[in-house]
Amino acid sequence: MTPGRAGGGRARAPGAATRRSLRASKEHRRRPVRSYWREYLAISPFYLVFVGFSLAPVIFTLYIAFQRWDGLGEMQFVGLDQFRFLVKDPTFWLSVWNTVVIWVLATFPMLFLALVLASAMNSRRRSVGFYRITFFVPNVTSIVAAAIFFFAIFSSQYGIVNATFHALGLPEVGWMTNPWTIRLVIAMLMTWQWTGYNALIYLAGLQAIPTELYEAARIDGANAVQIFFRITLPLLRPIILFTVIVSTVTGLQSFTEPQVLFGSNAATNPNSGGPGQAGLTMMLYFYQQAFTNNDYGYGAAIVWALCLLILAFVVINWRIVRGGDDD
Amino acid sequence: MELSRRHLLQLGMFTAATGALVSACGDDDSSSGSDSKTTTLWYWAGGLSDKVVADAVTQFKARTTVKPSVIGGDFKAKLVTTLASGKFVPDITGVKGEDVAAFLPQANKFVDLNTLGATKLSSEYLTWKLKKATTQDGKLIGFPIDIGPTAAFYREDLFEQAGLPSDPDAVGEAISTWDDYFALGVKLKAKLPKTFLVNNGGSIFTLAIGQGTKRFVDEENHFIGDQDHVRKAWETAVKPLSLGINAKINDNAWNAAIGNGTLGAELGAAWHALDISSAAPATKGKWRVATNPAGPSNIGGSFLAIPKEAANPQLAFEIITWLLNPENQARGFTDAALFPSAPAAYKLPALTGGDPFFGGQATIDVFGPAAEKIPIAYEAPSDAAVSAPYFNELTNIETKGKSPEDAWNDAVSQAKQIAKRQGVD
Repeated sequence: MTPGRAGGGRARAPGAATRRSLRASKEHRRRPVRSYWREYLAISPFYLVFVGFSLAPVIFTLYIAFQRWDGLGEMQFVGLDQFRFLVKDPTFWLSVWNTVVIWVLATFPMLFLALVLASAMNSRRRSVGFYRITFFVPNVTSIVAAAIFFFAIFSSQYGIVNATFHALGLPEVGWMTNPWTIRLVIAMLMTWQWTGYNALIYLAGLQAIPTELYEAARIDGANAVQIFFRITLPLLRPIILFTVIVSTVTGLQSFTEPQVLFGSNAATNPNSGGPGQAGLTMMLYFYQQAFTNNDYGYGAAIVWALCLLILAFVVINWRIVRGGDDD
Repeated sequence: MELSRRHLLQLGMFTAATGALVSACGDDDSSSGSDSKTTTLWYWAGGLSDKVVADAVTQFKARTTVKPSVIGGDFKAKLVTTLASGKFVPDITGVKGEDVAAFLPQANKFVDLNTLGATKLSSEYLTWKLKKATTQDGKLIGFPIDIGPTAAFYREDLFEQAGLPSDPDAVGEAISTWDDYFALGVKLKAKLPKTFLVNNGGSIFTLAIGQGTKRFVDEENHFIGDQDHVRKAWETAVKPLSLGINAKINDNAWNAAIGNGTLGAELGAAWHALDISSAAPATKGKWRVATNPAGPSNIGGSFLAIPKEAANPQLAFEIITWLLNPENQARGFTDAALFPSAPAAYKLPALTGGDPFFGGQATIDVFGPAAEKIPIAYEAPSDAAVSAPYFNELTNIETKGKSPEDAWNDAVSQAKQIAKRQGVD
């Protein structure tokens, strides 16, 4: 996604930076590409690493999705067999369902909360730096440590959450044994980790909105709600689009949370995704098939299915968030 | 810092140069794999006794520098990728018991230990254990570190309170079949309503399958997961739930349950004693060990293997046999709860001594005979993958209230699909 494309060069683009870069690219178009060799050299490390460690493996997975391979022996070409297995595999479809449910449970509350937090922070003058750091801490906390902590507090019989429920006279919940609460706990963990990050991005977007617009609206007699929905939200749309797409890409790849949660070190049946396999996300299913069961061909087919799912979601979200004003 | 274009370019050049340097160093290092001056040894935390390993470094100092590395994370995945790349391959590596079957089809990636003289030593180690690391054409890819003979760990105090037999021999006799064990569980629960004898159905299923000579795939690579022996193990696993003596522990509640009397007994391998004593230190002296209902089974127990790339396989094998001689295995038992795979060790003081956690009981009296009575069963490379649906469905019965018959049908049909994907017919 390029910001220039998303903003379309209109006045409501995320900021002056986009306009400047657009102008710059027009001026430079006449110079031959070769004369930029220094610039290309400067950015080349990123692309070399990307090609070596991202692009090449991606192409390789596409290749092995058509093979049967245990990771060590000879590959055996099996055509579309792995994809045929995929379509008929109820566990695969369960993993798709789990992934989507967890994504929905995590993303929408997360983005809503982030917007609320960002608006609250935007109207504050003091200790903004403190809040910024506080919001960002969950994002840089080790996900493994956070997952272990979450599972301890949601432990069915002895966790602090059930202890609180008990003290309040509410029935105790088998958080980590009921399929729905398992998904909910994973979603809560993801929400906890990413809300602050998104809030900071929204805050940057809010601060880029010129204050004259608000002043003009107030003079015209708009109230706070009208201002939010008529000015803030439309001007924030490119930022929201960005966060929705990033959340889609990361949220659909949830893996560590259920992996840490449900005894990945167990000798029997590791990485199964817990009771009812409710925590078996597509990434975890891929990991289990490829690295636990040594079925690399099938694992590759699963990640390609995941890739297609993410693409589909991104396109859908793009359409929804951009609304009717597509160029 | 002011970032000018010149600075940026210099930075870019620097990064590129560093990259080149790092990869150049990498090339240098990879050649050291074929250097017999060093012998690299890979294992996981707790996979070998660190003290024995440290002694091996001194023991072989004159001939080679033994370089032990404790590899964290997913050990098997790291070993597979390293073997596939053929670079930085260790001279000696651990292979976990649950993974060894999956490595057998790739026996050519390892040195056949029988060609290094393992045949002469085989009588000193348990036959069924060696068999687990032997290919169908007789190549031995791993030398046994430890084994996991199973038994019933039980709370003597709770058994006594309920008026049940509480002496290890008497308990062993009282639970000689699964039905006896479950009947005892019903009596116990009648007296102590909060105490269960079974933690979950999956653990019973593992044991019941391990008590047989057939598993999920046979030697001719046919799926046999729908046959009577699996069905019988399944019914044994489902029964405790219908009798109300299954605690249905499927999350991290086990740690608390083992300490607070929710579990009056725990069936598991010899090394499981360490899990119990670390989860419930306050129950020290209250536990005892009796024979496993319906005979012993084996859970876990690992191997040491020599990859094909090893510089000096003969020397590597000498190091392995030194690490795993009966005396050092006895030390491994004291140090890391690794139950010896060489029966000669069972007579050494480290094993014959009483264990205070078990009220001074000499647990070897139960585990020793169990170790020698474990049935030989063929475990196919795809076994772990094919068996997964049975465990998932047993959990579904416990957590979702799925009917056992539906669960069985779903387990079999999914196991068949996985078998097909794994090349089983």
